[in-house]
Amino acid sequence: MREPCRKVLSELDAFLDGECGPSLDEAVRRHLRECSPCLDRADFQRELRTLIASKCKDAAPSGLLDRVMDNLTDR
Amino acid sequence: MTTARQELTEAERRATFTRDALPYLDALYSAALRYTRNPADAEDLVQETYTKAYAKFHQYQPGTNLKAWLYRILGNTYINSYRARQRRPVEVSADAGGESDFSLYDRIAGSTHAPAEAEVLSRLTDDEVKQALAELPEAFRMAVYLADVEGFRYAEIADIMGTPVGTVMSRLHRGRARLHEALYHYARERGLLGPEARSGAPEDPDPGAQKT
Repeated sequence: MREPCRKVLSELDAFLDGECGPSLDEAVRRHLRECSPCLDRADFQRELRTLIASKCKDAAPSGLLDRVMDNLTDR
Repeated sequence: MTTARQELTEAERRATFTRDALPYLDALYSAALRYTRNPADAEDLVQETYTKAYAKFHQYQPGTNLKAWLYRILGNTYINSYRARQRRPVEVSADAGGESDFSLYDRIAGSTHAPAEAEVLSRLTDDEVKQALAELPEAFRMAVYLADVEGFRYAEIADIMGTPVGTVMSRLHRGRARLHEALYHYARERGLLGPEARSGAPEDPDPGAQKT
């Protein structure tokens, strides 16, 4: 693996989390525009997060809202 | 809404709380379920969280992140009243070992006959993904949940979990690696991936293999 790729991939999580700071963020973006193997990895990680998020949500059971509301009045 | 909470009448306080805090019911229930891994405990935890949050709503600073404030109460309530009586055995310390460099991308790309990488994973069911997350040690599970499902920032997660940002980053890194590894095993068990290629080995290392 090329050195620039290695650097970018080590920062990929922070980049995707929007936590790597403006100058590094710009450097990663620039690299991803030019390097399709790295872009593939970034896209994969992005899709993976979207997928995990979409599959780990639960709706509160019916009736819970009412019970919560009742508790607020009862105090 | 710039009025200090102390100046609100009881009716205004209740209306404000109902309007601003109750819309997080589903999100808090999802988080409670990830914490407790048990629907009955999750319901109790959410109820207790809202009761506490309402009781100290005057302490909430308007304009700050209400969702994170509610999650912090949920987390503290869980630690103080639920964790002690969890039905599952005590987990290994979060900072114990575990593979932290697992690359799902490389493993899937390394499988022969694999269809487009991420598409494989979309065929996993909700229950499989939830189960994979549920199997992570608590500290990893919550860091990954708060970041990847709820979209909290590192600093917010640190605040909710009561840990330094550096700890959040390391738990996230290792938690994600473990989760991805678990997803890989689910996908493999379900036959969603082709035969496993030898990791890092050149193509077709077996000279006797039949070519078709």
